[in-house]
Formats: sequence, structure tokens, C-alpha cells
Amino acid sequence: MERISTNMMNDDMQYQLRNREAMLNDMQNKIASQRRILSPRDDPAAAANSTRYQSYLARLSRYANNIQYAMDKHQTAEGYMRETVDIMQRIRELAVQGANGTYTKSDLQSMGQEVNQLLGELVKVGNSRSPDGTTIFAGLLTRNEPFREVMGNVPGAEGQVITNVQYVGDIGHNKTDISDVATANVNFPGNRVFWAEQQQIIPSVNATGYVVQHDSTIYLDNVPVDLKAGDNVYAIMQKINDSAAAVKASLDPVSNAMVLQSTTPHQIWLEDGPNSSTLKDLGVANATNGNPPRNVATDARVYGGSLFDMVIRLRDAMYSGNTLDVGGSALRGIDDGLHNLLGNLGRLGAESERLDLTLKRTEAEIPDVTGQNSHLVDLDMTKAITDLRMLEYTHQAALQTAARILPPTLLDFMR
Amino acid sequence: MLSTFTGIEIGKRGLITTTVGLDTVGHNLTNASTEGYSRQRVELQAAEPLTIPGLTRPVTPGQVGEGVEVERIARVRDQILEGRIVAQNNNQGYWEQKDKYLQMVEQVYNEPTDQSVRTLMDKFWDGWQQLSLYPEDIAARQTVLKRGQTLLDGIKAQYHSLDQIRTMVDTEIQVGVSQVNGLTRQIAKLNEEIAKSQAAGDNPNDLLDKRDLLVEKLSNYINITVSGKDPAEFNIHTAGFQLVQGRVALPFKLAPDQNNEGFSKVVWADTNETVHFKGGKIAAFFDLRDKDVRGEIQNLDNMTVNFVDLVNGIHRKGYGLNGQTGANFFVERPGVLNAQGNFDQSGNGTFDHTYLFRMTGTNALDAQAQVGLRGTITLPGASGSVSVEYYPTDTVHDILARVNNSGAEVVAQMDGDGHLSMKAATSANTDNPDFVIRHVEDSGQFLVGYAGILRASGAQGAYDWAHANAVTSLRGDGGAAVPAPAAASRTGTPQVQPAVDYQVAPLLHPSGWMAINEKIVQEPAAIAAGLGKDGRAAEPGDGSAALAIAHLRNQPVMVGQIATFDDYFANSVANIGLKGEQASQALNTQKLVMQNLRNLRESISGVNVDEELAQMIKFQHGYDAAARFVTTVDKMLDTIINRMGV
Repeated sequence: MERISTNMMNDDMQYQLRNREAMLNDMQNKIASQRRILSPRDDPAAAANSTRYQSYLARLSRYANNIQYAMDKHQTAEGYMRETVDIMQRIRELAVQGANGTYTKSDLQSMGQEVNQLLGELVKVGNSRSPDGTTIFAGLLTRNEPFREVMGNVPGAEGQVITNVQYVGDIGHNKTDISDVATANVNFPGNRVFWAEQQQIIPSVNATGYVVQHDSTIYLDNVPVDLKAGDNVYAIMQKINDSAAAVKASLDPVSNAMVLQSTTPHQIWLEDGPNSSTLKDLGVANATNGNPPRNVATDARVYGGSLFDMVIRLRDAMYSGNTLDVGGSALRGIDDGLHNLLGNLGRLGAESERLDLTLKRTEAEIPDVTGQNSHLVDLDMTKAITDLRMLEYTHQAALQTAARILPPTLLDFMR
Repeated sequence: MLSTFTGIEIGKRGLITTTVGLDTVGHNLTNASTEGYSRQRVELQAAEPLTIPGLTRPVTPGQVGEGVEVERIARVRDQILEGRIVAQNNNQGYWEQKDKYLQMVEQVYNEPTDQSVRTLMDKFWDGWQQLSLYPEDIAARQTVLKRGQTLLDGIKAQYHSLDQIRTMVDTEIQVGVSQVNGLTRQIAKLNEEIAKSQAAGDNPNDLLDKRDLLVEKLSNYINITVSGKDPAEFNIHTAGFQLVQGRVALPFKLAPDQNNEGFSKVVWADTNETVHFKGGKIAAFFDLRDKDVRGEIQNLDNMTVNFVDLVNGIHRKGYGLNGQTGANFFVERPGVLNAQGNFDQSGNGTFDHTYLFRMTGTNALDAQAQVGLRGTITLPGASGSVSVEYYPTDTVHDILARVNNSGAEVVAQMDGDGHLSMKAATSANTDNPDFVIRHVEDSGQFLVGYAGILRASGAQGAYDWAHANAVTSLRGDGGAAVPAPAAASRTGTPQVQPAVDYQVAPLLHPSGWMAINEKIVQEPAAIAAGLGKDGRAAEPGDGSAALAIAHLRNQPVMVGQIATFDDYFANSVANIGLKGEQASQALNTQKLVMQNLRNLRESISGVNVDEELAQMIKFQHGYDAAARFVTTVDKMLDTIINRMGV
């Protein structure tokens, strides 16, 4: 620039000072807020990623929460299951003792008395509630007690005793998210935990001529099995066996009825879909199609019972002084129940371990993600302060020069 | 023979000329800080000498100088540089306004902090997670309710802030246009005065400075070009039209635009033709109002309408603690459309359009299944329609991806049960309403028999919004034609009940008018937590619906072209951030360019006090010298007159 007008120096100085003051202000704001990104324009990509990290952090802490909740539920259930095991072991001791054959009938009856007490205790454990007031072993019916006692008279017993224990919960699983992709069960239907034997349903209807009339769905243990019009009993059995339900279907060689058998000890949960009548037609479910499990056809034979059935069988054998039964079928039933119970406990332990590991991973991930987010949006304090000092220094220099250059003109030297 | 008094005359001329010089120095010095002032220079020339060649010419050695005279007083100005400043200035005006308002928009987002709509939504999902743990609990439902309300409040606040910015920008347009009209009027008036003055042979320097300043100010508002081709007439053009022609200025006028929510557009006052500015503040205001801020509102609307539809979709299927089902969690208030989406667009009292936001097919599909069909799907695009071909080897997923990438203003998505959903997106053109499916047509069977949305293929079977009861072209029960029933509803429309599940479009900005269903607010037990099974109410411990709603946050739900809600938030932040970054960088560059240009102009036209003072000394000495010369001549004359003793 060859010619400098008087205003130019002033204008330039103003322009530069304005810029510098804007930078100073920006830097001060950043230091005061401890953030590198005050508004998205400071680094759009980092700001966008930061929103993801922040949301992910919120999610992670929710997962940690959920896992904690699931673990609490598991712990409560485990506690009650251990108590059940203790009771069952005492019952087993009594059964072994009673099978000895050296006890008199009245001795056996008093043992029966004790087993009866323990049975009551077992039902209480089955109906126990977790600290939040919900029942643990009722499936999704968390407000109801899952086991209903039916009282009646039994030979040898004094007064009314429990003659049957019905499961009135359901088999729904409530799930909770433990990560973006994984869920965990938080409840334990009592008809699996407190079950002893494989269940078998043998209907009395000859199934060989049966053909499905229209496309429909049946549910076994809540698992849908889709049937097509024209399926015969073999196709139906094939589909049931291929489904995820722990139920096996087979044809009874004598009566040609379709027999359903559980493959793990639990109660089979039968249901015809909205436009299906297959289970009713095959004589598995009753015509009223009530809520499971009380919808098994009355003329079908059902084998395999719950833990309570086993204990009741033992008690009744004791009441009647039948040593053979005590040491035979009753003891075997108790063993089956105990075995299933321990199996369930083992599964629960494995599940708890998985939850524990997931929790550890999640809790380790939280500081990691926080760190990554911090890299994106947080301020490098050392650099910021140095930069600020540098800015202040240059600002002062600019101001001083301004003060020096601007005033003198030729006017100062004229008289 | 020269006159005796020639010297006096020469001296007088010197005195007058130097006085003019000194006056100009004074004028320059006093105007040193005047905006738009350019320094003036007195241009001197030697006066006409004696003698002119001719017959009457005396026989003397010539020519004899006759002293000095002022040729003209010129302003020092580079008109080419002026042209560049005018050309660049509109950019600065444009980016200044963009930067300012985009900064405001960024502040509305409040990202990345923990006080944004995103964090409110995170809390909302978290509420459903909590409810899935305690499905039998009223307290967990209250949490969901309160967080839902907070979220809606946050969305509404964001909408209203954006809307406010839009209204502010609209006001700026109104003010800007009247300022432009004022400036052009002033320029035209100056043109008249300048022309008069120039006709008289004067140099109207100060008027020219004033006009240059006004032109520069005008160029801050709109993009203009100045043509100096015709020295007698000063012309300004904008957007290919003449804005100022000599002493005539053509004004602009504001006209409300029905298709743009009543915001005003700028038209020529005489022809009523719409003007499209390409630069300057006003172009920035239009871009902000009709593109940037509108886009932000559309994005927010889009997210909200999809969010509401998805949450409602699951909530309707779920059961509350009181066994109620089918209730929407969110409702639009006030809801305006009738159940079939029939709408009176022309306002003449009869339904003439169908406004649907979503239509969901009747058949459950497998995303990975090959469709084995061939055809062309026709959907509305930003301008005209978009065709999407599909071939027998395509999977359902392939076709959906093609539809979603086609640029159509309709997106396709599979819902949780595998049904195909077609959803309207926002529309790029302000003439089309947002969130309304305008056309769906399939020449083959994919949307017809396969997905079960349309009743028939081809143009006859197409769904088109441009008439009432268009829902009749959607698939009904069993695909049978719906007979016009004898019983008509109160409004006189036949009762049509297609089996296709559809959702009518929101009429107002969804982000501004969503509310939680009053029934749910009154009775939080109606908040669904469980899905139940086969039409049986959910058990109290069933948290499956709550979990399904919480899962929406991670699922590809297709908010317009964007897959998930996380993507939406990250995207909108990146988007506005990039716009802001671009604006602030462009503004800084433009400021520097303008600073350089203005410096260049100052270097040429600016007043330098030192320089002027030096000139002052020069002229002062000149005056002294001329005065001394007059004295000398006076002495000469004194000698002749008084001392020669004649």
C-alpha cells in the first residue's frame, strides 16, 4: 500500500482489536465452561459423535441398573430356592428314615406330620414375595400367589390337610435389557422350578384320521406352532418336535392318540390359537379352552407331577404307614424334585454369573466412553491457558502500539 | 504590446487559485472522518497564454503566460474498485445474517450438553425401561408420563424457538425490503441532482460520494450490478431486472404466500412478479426462512411424527394395568382431520383431498425373502414423481432400500410384525404439505397382492391424495371391493373401512401440537406395559410393551432417510454445526476481503491529514508568493506613476 490515509490505521487497528477480543472472549468462555465445543459449529463432527456418546452413556447406566435389578431378583429367587433345597433335604432324610421299615405306623404318622408341616413351608416359600411386594415364582401374574392349596381329608391325618397344590401363575417371562442386544429373564415360573417329573399327556382320541381344517396356530409352552390346512397328525407331530418348545409329540402305539411329553421337567402349557381347534380335536385340551394349565382334557391321562405332588405322595404314604411306597415311588419322586431343583439352581447360578460379567463389562465401559467423550468435547486446559496468555500478550502489544502510532501528525509540529 | 496591468491580473489569479486550494484542503480535513467521503484535489492549469496565433497578433515574442487557473476540483476515486466493492459487499451481508441466525438456531439445540431434547428423549426411553422392570407399578407409570410430558415440552420449546427465529427473519425481510425501497428512491433522487449539476458543467463530487455510499449500502441488502456504460444515466440492476434507471426507481412490494404458511414473498410493485435474490442480507433471510430454519423445523416435525406414530403403534397394542387397550399415548391437539383423512384443501366446503401419513400392509413379510415379482413403484418426489423398479430376484429388503434411496418423499419400512409401512416424509417444495402421502402406484403386484397395501396394480389402482376417500384404493377385507353402504355418516361420506392400517396426517406442525392423551394423564394405570397374548389382557407382571417401546430407540425406524433416533440427533447436530461452521468461516473470509478492498479504497480516496497539511503549507506559500508578486507589480506601478517625474 503506497498511500496510507489517516483513517486507515485506525480502521485496521479496530479490525484487528475486534478480532483479538472475539478470540479472547471465546477462549475465556471455553475455559470457564471447561468445554472445547461451545456450540456445534466449533467442531460439528465431534459434536455429533458426542451426542451419540452421551446417549450411549445414559443407556449404559440404564443397563447397569437393569443388570443390578435382575441380579437382585436372581439373588432373591436363589435364596428361596436354597431354602426349598434345605426343606427337601430334610424331607428326603425323613423319607429315607421312613423307608427303613423298623418304624411303627404311629412313628410313620408322626413323620408324616412333620412332612406335612414342611409341605406347608414349601408352599409358603413358593408363594414368597420379593422386597418390592411382587411374587417371585408366578410368571407374569406377579400380584398373585402362584400356588393354591386345596385342603381335604386324608386317611391318617388329623383335620384338613393340603391334598393338592395347583399352579395358578403363568409361564410368561419378563425380560430386561442388559445391553443393546442382549436381554435377561427376571422371573422364574414356579411350574418349572417346583416341578419334579416329566409331564406326559395321553389323550383318549384316535388321531390317525385327523386333518387340520384351516391354517392356524397352536401354542405349546407359549411357543407358536403354525399348522397348515391339510396337515395330518404326523405333520403336526413333526412340527411340534421341530419347534422350540421343550415338548415331544409321539403317537401312542396302542390307542393311536397323540401323546405329548415334556423333555425337561415342567408343566406343559397348552393353548389353541384364535382360530384353531386342533388340540381340542385331538383330545389334548378340553372343549371350553380355559386358561392353561387347567385346560387339559378331562378324559386325557396326565402323568408327572410337581414337587408338591411328590411331597404329598410321601406324606400320604407315611400317613397310611406304607413303608414300601415311602422308600419306593415317593422317595424317587423326592429325588427327582431335588434333582430338578438343583438343576434350576445351577442354571440360575450360571445366569447370575453371566449378569455379573456383563455388569463388570458395562461398568468398565462407562469410564471408557466417558473418556472418549471427554476427548471429543473437553478442553485441554494447559493448551487453553497458554493460548490465553499468548493472546493477552499480543493484545497488550497491539494496544500499546496503537497508543503510540495513532496520535502524531504533522499538526503536532506546526505552529 | 502587453498591458501594464497584466501582472496584477496574474497575481490576482494566483491569489484566487491558492484560496480555492486552501478551501479544498479545509474541506478535505474537515471531512476526514465522513463516511463515504473521497478526498478532492484542485487541478490547476496555466491560464490561456498571450497571444493566440492570428492576424491581429502583436509582434512580440510569445507566448506570454497569463498565470494560473483552476481547471476543476476532482474527487480521487477508483470507479473500478468501487464496482468490486459493490460486487463483494452482498456476500458479506449474506454471511453476516446467516452467521447470526444460525448461531441462534445452534443455541436452540443446546448440544452437546445434558439439557437438550435428546437427553429428554433418553430419559423418556429410560422411563419405559424402568416400567418394564416394574410393570405392576403406578409410580413407574408416573415416571413415564412425566418424562413424556417433559420431552414434549422440550420438543415444543424447540419448535417454538425455531418458529420464533423464522418469524424474526420474516420481520427482517419486511424491514429490509422497505429499506431497499428507501435506498433506491434516494439514489434515483441523487441521480436527478447529479445530472442537473453535470449538465451545468460542474463536478458534483459530494453528491457522487453520497450516491456511492448509498449504492454500497444497497449492495449489502441485495446483489446488484452498477452499469456506468451510459455516462448520462446511472443504472442499477438486480436479478436481471432494472432497479434504478436514472431518476426512476422501481420499488418492491411484499405479498403473502399462501403456500408458505402465509410468510411474505417479494414481488415487483408494478408487475407483481416474484423476485428471487441471489445475494445480500435479503437472500440470506429467504434462505434462512425457507430453507435452513424451515428444514430444522421439518426435521424436528419428522422426528416427532415418526416418534409419536411408533410409540402409539406399540402402545395401542399393549394393555394398561386397568386392562384397557387401544389407547394412543400421544395425540395431536387439536386433531382436525376426519378418520379417513379427508380434507378440504380448497376451502369450498367439500372434501377434495385425502391426507394420510402412513399406510401399513395387511401381509406379514420376510425381509430376506425373494419377491419373485417384477414391476415399477411410482412415488412422489421433490419435483414430479419417482419410479422404483423391482425384479424377481430382489428381496423385500432390497426393494425397501431402493425406495428409501430413490429420493421419493415416502419412506418404506417393516414394522415389528413384518408388515410393510409406507410413511410420508417432509416435502422439499413449499407447495406440498409435509407428512402427506401424495401418490402410491405399483405396476406389478408387490404393493398389491404381496404386501397388501393397494387394491389393484396399475394407474387405475393407484392411491392418489387429490380426491376425497382415496382410502378406498387401499386394500380392504379380503381384497373385496367395498360396496357403498346405505348408511352414510353425518358428513355424507360413505363409510369405508379398509383393512389396511393407516394413520391420518398431522395438519399443524406436529412438534408444536403434540400432547399426551388426556385419558392417560387422568388415569396413568392406562399406560400399557404388557402386550398380552392373542387378545387377552396382559398380566400385571408383563413388561413386554414397555420394553418394545424402549427398544424403538435402537431400531432402524426410518425417520425420513435417517435410520435411528440416535442417528437423527447426531445428524441434526452435525448438520447445523456444519452450517454454522461454514457461515462463520465464509463470514471471516468475506470480512477480510472487504477489509482489504476498503483499505485499497481508503488508500486511494481516504484523507491523509499529513498530506493535507503539507498541501495547506504549499498553498499558503503559494498565496504568500502571489501576494508578494502583486506587491512587486504595485511597486513597479508606483515607480512608473510617482517617481518617473513626468
